[in-house]
Amino acid sequence: MDATFIFHEALLSATPLLLAGTGELVAERAGVIDIGIEGLMIVGAIAAYSAAVLTGSVIWAVPAAAVAGMALAALFAVVTVFARADQIVAGAALNLLAFGVSTTAWRMLQGALPTHPAPAMYEEAPVPLLAHVPFFGAVLFQQYGLFYATVVLTGVVDVLLRFTRLGLVVRALGDAPEAADAMGIRVRTGRLLAVLFAGACAGAAGAYLSTMRNHSFQLNMTAGQGFLVLALVIFARWSLPGLAAAAVLFGALEALQSALASLPGATVAIPHGLFDMLPYAATLAALTLLSRAGAGPLELGKPWPAQR
Amino acid sequence: MRLLRRVFLPLVPPAIAVAVSIGLLALGLALAKYPALSLLREWFVAAVGDRFNIEVAIKNSCPLLLTGLAAGVAFRAGVLNIGAEGQSILGAIAAAAVATRLLPGLHPSGAAISTALAAAVVAGALFAGIAAGLELLRGVPVVLSTILLNFVALQLLGVLLEGPLKTHLTQAVQSDPMPGAFWLPLIGGSLVVHAGVLIAAAAAVLAWGMQSRTTLGFELLVTGLNPAAARYAGIPTASRQGLVLLFSGGFAGLSGAIQTLGVGGHVLTPTPESYGYTGIAVALLGRLHPVGIAAAALFFALLDQGAATLETSATPLPHETADILKGLITLALLTSASLLANRRVIASQTAMEGTTKAGSAAEGRAV
Repeated sequence: MDATFIFHEALLSATPLLLAGTGELVAERAGVIDIGIEGLMIVGAIAAYSAAVLTGSVIWAVPAAAVAGMALAALFAVVTVFARADQIVAGAALNLLAFGVSTTAWRMLQGALPTHPAPAMYEEAPVPLLAHVPFFGAVLFQQYGLFYATVVLTGVVDVLLRFTRLGLVVRALGDAPEAADAMGIRVRTGRLLAVLFAGACAGAAGAYLSTMRNHSFQLNMTAGQGFLVLALVIFARWSLPGLAAAAVLFGALEALQSALASLPGATVAIPHGLFDMLPYAATLAALTLLSRAGAGPLELGKPWPAQR
Repeated sequence: MRLLRRVFLPLVPPAIAVAVSIGLLALGLALAKYPALSLLREWFVAAVGDRFNIEVAIKNSCPLLLTGLAAGVAFRAGVLNIGAEGQSILGAIAAAAVATRLLPGLHPSGAAISTALAAAVVAGALFAGIAAGLELLRGVPVVLSTILLNFVALQLLGVLLEGPLKTHLTQAVQSDPMPGAFWLPLIGGSLVVHAGVLIAAAAAVLAWGMQSRTTLGFELLVTGLNPAAARYAGIPTASRQGLVLLFSGGFAGLSGAIQTLGVGGHVLTPTPESYGYTGIAVALLGRLHPVGIAAAALFFALLDQGAATLETSATPLPHETADILKGLITLALLTSASLLANRRVIASQTAMEGTTKAGSAAEGRAV
């Protein structure tokens, strides 16, 4: 194994985490914690694959996934933002619903596959010229299309959050909704939009998994990544550069794990499951070391208005 | 009248939620050009019109009741334990370890089963204890630690099944079959219903007794309703919440053990059928009350069992449609319960304002 391979793999694994994480971070900054990200991702994955199969072209995959993610996110927003139900519990219910939807849709799609063979999925899209730069070209510029989109999106959202009035409003929704309300901002509409954005991001991250990284859909293919996103956002203390670093670090851990596990004799000495456990245990350890220091949005998880 | 309000009023939100969700699912099916009404009728008839299906549902409702109790006791105290999944896996591991490795020759059956169950309770509670400890010592939110620990538990199971617990009988990655003394006996002349029903029922009674007949239960309730008020009243909320997390993990551990000792081939596999996440929905549908949770667990198990027939109907439908309905019910329930609760809060606030005014007036007179 060489460094180029490991770093390339690290970014492959980091992309869906960063994409879904950017959405979740915005929702949490606006005061809404959505633990249904896992479900939104799996629904995005099946929506993307279904759209590709049914239209015979992969170009509809990402839009379909984003729309599917937003549709479920809208349901979540109705329950939490407007009916003021507990966000954690509603998120858990959303996961249940999403897994039912994705499994049902997958079983129905399997009926259609014989007549509609799956079209070609996305391949890695090297950037002209830059892809030939030694090392960096292979690591950074021979990725899937959504990688570049994610990097740009994360950068833009970070600038918006930090330096613009829009960003100030989003942060106010999570830190001081009363003040935002007094300024004439519609708190619930704002939170709805943030949740929809998170839904679109998570859906697109699911599309990345099915139509780019794996080139097909498998049940439970998100394998806990949506939950991991939640931990990474807290680990990064609600900062997007921090989130990017955390996602890459985590991707590197995964790449290292698969590289180590494929070494001859490695799995004989150390069971594979221990490698698979590493990312989760590491996140837990990081939370344990950092947790006291980080302060999240002040009104995170609390419905607004506090009383009605 | 009081009985009416205590028993029927809490049933209103679940009833609304179930009706609305079935309506939504029927609408969705109709839009997808499925014969919604006849499918729903088939589903209903299969669920409650067939003695064997009912017995299977009763059996399957046991682990669900226990994970529901795990979520229920924790949620009532304001502790968001999302880790019943991992805790039940630890329970299953403990039961299998006792039965196949530590004490395989244990006799008679009563001693064998109770030892395995006790080990499972302890394992589930200790695993939940990790989350409790991290919260108490380092302020790690229970929501997050329990989610992450679910994945750790699943991988741990895999490691153990490829190592110390792996069977030598086949190449398959699974445990040895449990010795016969550890099998939960069938009861009531049924072919499927086993003694797990009695254990789950006893757990529900225990949870009810703890919650409504002990000081601890009252303190937990107050902590859940208003932590600040609980602290002012001298309740050590942090340690009480840690304690309830141990209880919760114990129930979840029991759930895993019952599946291992009571189902099918009596072996443990790397992907156990676990009910941790569904338990959250069950707890909500049961309004966090043990009796309600038992009813909700049976309802969900019946839905699953009935849905199996949809696969072979004239217009086949995957049995996972049941999961969609469960998710819809939970979301609808949250919505209706929250909307109704908001109205009650307003009512009680108005009442409260009245009493405080009266109170200050009384004080004024005393001065």
